[in-house]
Amino acid sequence: MFTINNLLDIMVLVIFMNMQEKLTILADSAKYDASCSSSGSALKRHGDIGNTAYSGICHSFASDGRCISLLKILMTNCCIFDCKYCLNRKSNNIKRALFTPEEICEITINFYRRNYIEGLFLSSGIIKSPDYTMNLMIETISLLRHKYKFGGYIHAKAIPGASTYLLNKLGNLVDRLSANIELPTENGLKLLAPNKDTNKITKIMEYIKENKSQTFVPAGQSTQMIIGATKETDYEIMKRSSEMYHNYSLKRVFYSAYIPVNKDNLLPSLNLPPLKRENRLYQADWLMRFYHFKVNDLLNADNPNFNLLLDPKADWALRHLEEFPKEINTCSYNDLLKIPGIGVTSAKRIISSRKYFKISFNDLQKMGIVLKRAKYFIVCDGKYFVNNLCFNRSFIESNLVLEDNLLTSLKGEQLSLF
Amino acid sequence: MNEKYIYIYNNSFLSLLNLIQTLFKNKIVPQNIKPQDYSPSLFDKIVNLDIKEDEQVIEDIINYLSSNILNTLYYVYLSSNEHKELIIYYFWGHSLKYKNKIFYMRNLKSVNAALKISKYVSRENHRLKGFLRFKELSNRILYAEIAPENNIIFLLSKHFRKRLNNEYWMIKDVKRNIYCLYDKKDCFFVDGQNFEIGPKQWSMDENNIQSLWKTFYKTIGISQRKNKRCQMNFMPKKYWKYIIEMSEDDEESYN
Repeated sequence: MFTINNLLDIMVLVIFMNMQEKLTILADSAKYDASCSSSGSALKRHGDIGNTAYSGICHSFASDGRCISLLKILMTNCCIFDCKYCLNRKSNNIKRALFTPEEICEITINFYRRNYIEGLFLSSGIIKSPDYTMNLMIETISLLRHKYKFGGYIHAKAIPGASTYLLNKLGNLVDRLSANIELPTENGLKLLAPNKDTNKITKIMEYIKENKSQTFVPAGQSTQMIIGATKETDYEIMKRSSEMYHNYSLKRVFYSAYIPVNKDNLLPSLNLPPLKRENRLYQADWLMRFYHFKVNDLLNADNPNFNLLLDPKADWALRHLEEFPKEINTCSYNDLLKIPGIGVTSAKRIISSRKYFKISFNDLQKMGIVLKRAKYFIVCDGKYFVNNLCFNRSFIESNLVLEDNLLTSLKGEQLSLF
Repeated sequence: MNEKYIYIYNNSFLSLLNLIQTLFKNKIVPQNIKPQDYSPSLFDKIVNLDIKEDEQVIEDIINYLSSNILNTLYYVYLSSNEHKELIIYYFWGHSLKYKNKIFYMRNLKSVNAALKISKYVSRENHRLKGFLRFKELSNRILYAEIAPENNIIFLLSKHFRKRLNNEYWMIKDVKRNIYCLYDKKDCFFVDGQNFEIGPKQWSMDENNIQSLWKTFYKTIGISQRKNKRCQMNFMPKKYWKYIIEMSEDDEESYN
């Protein structure tokens, strides 16, 4: 077994491994973190090189269709923890590597100057102790900010169990600081990540929330949950994330379909990651944050999982057909948002346009509003898109499911939300 | 005057504004409006009003059009749409009546077209903020080539002026043969016909950094989640030629 507990071993690694190999190991270990956003930072730093773009910028898209905006790497994949689901757990016999602070700075600056990336996403396995690891990360990022005068985006992962004064130090250097909750329930965490505990993670979130300012973690915090490694229902997951949005003012909760990298009796064996489920959770997450939906509107104890055939909004609408069809020309903004297929942009467009003219189906099309799903749930000036008699659950449901499946089979693959 | 003519402007945005202003003043509805360098067909009836570039007139136009209307006109002008001049003419015409409410009048064909096109231009600009790739020349100058659908080099340069304000860099629009040169202070736009850079010598590090980036790119994708369609939706193939991690990607695996 190849584990690393003393610094001497690590020094040997630093000297004998070339950059290509190190980057391969440390990017490979970091790739399971879903977050890659570079948006939300309005802070103007006085650096020599780089700035942040409030809207965020995607620089490339990986073969899995996910956006690449940050250089996402671990400082080291050596770890004293033994979390069951993690590739870098102590008991795995894998190659280990460590970047020195200078190496990380050099790569970041060289990539940034060539416009490959928006900035750095630095996470790390835990070496020696949480404080020791955090200190190394702070040294790295401080070097990047002060010596290399880097003004671009930095997202750092806080190490659970590190001292508060280190959190404070790191938070003042980065745009986003985050801690992963990893599993939706405490029991799940106890089972699969015996060295982590929920309290240590929520303590970090609490601290970031209390201290957030224009210079401390200006782009806010996010977190991530692994989906499908433990037995939680979608209802439990959504309740947990709604709670976290509320308690810690999170910018985002990321859901990451569980991908088996280790064999363990405690872990489920899956052939394919539950991508469709992940997709549904993201859709529901959006409904909560931008469409005024509550978890209990979408799911409940009797109906604890999302319908994989229909998106959560269409599913909700079909269960509440008594509220439909809605009249485009008179219904309120909030009601518009409840219509499947109508998003925030479309709703705003309808509200501002209908002051000036009466909207017909034809106008909706001209206004660039996608009617594929919406047409089943609306009337324009009293008119339904086909015979009024068709407005019933079985007609709409079969059409929606059919269209979706047709689309999927045409495209061959499902879309992901990244 | 029943017969309609094609009116010619002087290949610049201001000259187009000037021409349309004159058409409005004289209540002329053009059959079309085209730049000087367009090649007319046999039956085209062409009029070149030869309007003098009067700074006062242009200043007036800029003052009475609200900034977001003017902005929309400019973005449409930068697009590669073949009817862009007429769209600008009609959008502007409608805006005289509706003022800023014009942005809600998407049921009018030209308004919808103008808003769509300007969105498309600004989206391509945003995309290239990410997709553009610099290479380092041996004298540390950064050099990038792009081939966008729309003429966005003016918009794009603003972004890099802020981001890489302490570097020397140049961007070449290969399609239009325009260079943008930045000297740590100002941007200069130069026509490729009057400007030539010799054979490019890349810096010592360049190859190494590129191959590190390609390594990172390959590593970061999760094979169990492979989704080429999703990737191509976000990063259309037309941009790949100048994106270094994509340019050498073997074609077979996609076909």
